[in-house]
Amino acid sequence: MSGAVGREPVFPTRQSLGLMKSKLKGAETGHSLLKRKSEALTKRFREITRRIDEAKQKMGRVMQIAAFSLAEVSYAVGGDIGYQVQESAKQARFRVRAKHENVSGVFLPQFESYTKDGINDFALTGLGKGGQQIQRCRETYARAVETLVELASLQTAFLILDEVIKVVNRRVNAIEHVIIPRTENTIKYINSELDELDREEFYRLKKVSNKKQRDNAAADAEILAARQKKKEAELQAQKSTPAQEATGATDATEAAEATEEAAEPEEPEPVDVLGEQEDNDVIF
Amino acid sequence: MEGLYFNVNSGYVEGIVRGYKNSLLTGQNYSNLTQCETIDDVKLQLGPSYGDFLASLPPNPSTSALAGRMTDKLVSEFRYLVAQSTGSTAKFLKYLTYGYMIDNIALLITGTLHERDTRELLERCHPLGWFETLPVLCVATNIEELYNSVLIETPLAPYFKGSLNHQDLDELNIEIVRNTLYKNYLEDFYKFVNTDSDFNGPTQEVMSEILQFEADRRSINITLNSFGTELSKQERRKLYPEFGKLYPEGSLMLSRAEDVEGVALAVSAVAEYKTFFDAVGLSQGGGSMGGIGGSDGKSLEDLFYQKEMEMGKLVFTRQFTPAVVYAWMKLKEQEIRNVTWISECIAQNQKERIGNFISVF
Repeated sequence: MSGAVGREPVFPTRQSLGLMKSKLKGAETGHSLLKRKSEALTKRFREITRRIDEAKQKMGRVMQIAAFSLAEVSYAVGGDIGYQVQESAKQARFRVRAKHENVSGVFLPQFESYTKDGINDFALTGLGKGGQQIQRCRETYARAVETLVELASLQTAFLILDEVIKVVNRRVNAIEHVIIPRTENTIKYINSELDELDREEFYRLKKVSNKKQRDNAAADAEILAARQKKKEAELQAQKSTPAQEATGATDATEAAEATEEAAEPEEPEPVDVLGEQEDNDVIF
Repeated sequence: MEGLYFNVNSGYVEGIVRGYKNSLLTGQNYSNLTQCETIDDVKLQLGPSYGDFLASLPPNPSTSALAGRMTDKLVSEFRYLVAQSTGSTAKFLKYLTYGYMIDNIALLITGTLHERDTRELLERCHPLGWFETLPVLCVATNIEELYNSVLIETPLAPYFKGSLNHQDLDELNIEIVRNTLYKNYLEDFYKFVNTDSDFNGPTQEVMSEILQFEADRRSINITLNSFGTELSKQERRKLYPEFGKLYPEGSLMLSRAEDVEGVALAVSAVAEYKTFFDAVGLSQGGGSMGGIGGSDGKSLEDLFYQKEMEMGKLVFTRQFTPAVVYAWMKLKEQEIRNVTWISECIAQNQKERIGNFISVF
């Protein structure tokens, strides 16, 4: 997995480690949010599917009744009224209004049908015979169209939701399978690099302190040798100034102390880093 | 004595029509038709009476195609009768076509009003309502031109004259125009059968009865259908033919009626219409306005059709009259409607209402 996902091209620094950690956290929050959104949408989607099924079956029945009422009209009128109806219809009696519905951030268009009762353009069609059948047929067809409008709004919602659910799921999967592992990889990488650096640093410090110890030892030896020499010189020239001897001795001890002090403040830091490393090792 | 010279000129036509009448579908045929499972079966059952006309239909034709072919047969038979007739019989047959002409002209007027290309409307015109100057109507591009120069030349000109001017054509609803024309036509036809000396006797008797019934039926239907529309009572009254059993008292009451009860009251003077209204239970004011939902599944319209068919059937008991042509045409039309209904029921799988046709033989 980690090999396939790779990691982000960052410098393994402490700052980018912090950045990556916050990114990981963000990705996890986003993932859970998107997952919830996708679930909400899917729930809605299922409901719409169920309603589409109902509406389609209803449409089948209603259309059948409507077609039959048209047959009744042609029986009663005994001719074709299509042209007259077409020509006399001027204003729409049956109208559709479009609305928006917000389902977890997705705008679904909703069609709402309503009739304008005042408009009845072909009320006089079939005045001589069959007029009542024609009006009845019109009512039946109005109901059929109502069902169609309902179905249309459901179908549109269905398509849009389908698309949105796909996008959301893609995002969820991308976060789950790409972004989170990659961020984790990056964090792991940064940590290992930092460990490496720390180890190097520790090693270097050890080397430095070793060298310093060596140097100190050499210096001490030198000093000792110098003292020896001085002692010998003193012994040789005991009658020369004794005051000089005291100053030289204090100088040497002071220098040794100073080197020890200089080495000491550096030592706690590597220990600190070590502690942190151990913690990290426990994590990964 | 009235039949003495009838056969000299019109005997052949009458004989032919009686022959045609025998090919009308009977109750037996209808019960066979209702048993059909597909339109192809229907086609097969119709074979004996409609053979050649249905032969060219593709398998499983649409109901409208089927009805179209049946109408073609009616038209060709009628044209043959027209070609064979002379004198007042020919005139009588011409009168029969005027009703279809009114429909065609109304169609073309609608087209002209909405500035459509009326040429393509010619195909939609009923072939029985075809007359030579019908295509000329398409030349007119506006309604004034149509009225002044074209409609005058049509056989229907007398019906326009006096009751409609070109402004009316523009302003009135086409249905009102159509019904005005039809009213004038019915009155003219009524006058014609009652005044023509050749028609003394049986023609006058049966045709008067039929036309009176037709007039009353139109009045009642117009009244019922105008409830809830912008048609005013004065306008409505102008559409009632001025003859018939309901005229004048019934018509006056009809013109004042405001609901179905009012109509029932208006027609109660005539016993047979009263029985119709009683049969459908007067409950039409409720949910199913005149719909098929009466006592035994019959609507008022169905009862009227039934009555018309029975009158048509009775006409065949008379001899020496061209009225049989009228009766035959009406019966044939009803037959086409019946077959359309049955095949529609079969096509849409709504068998429970399939028996809702009218068969008188």
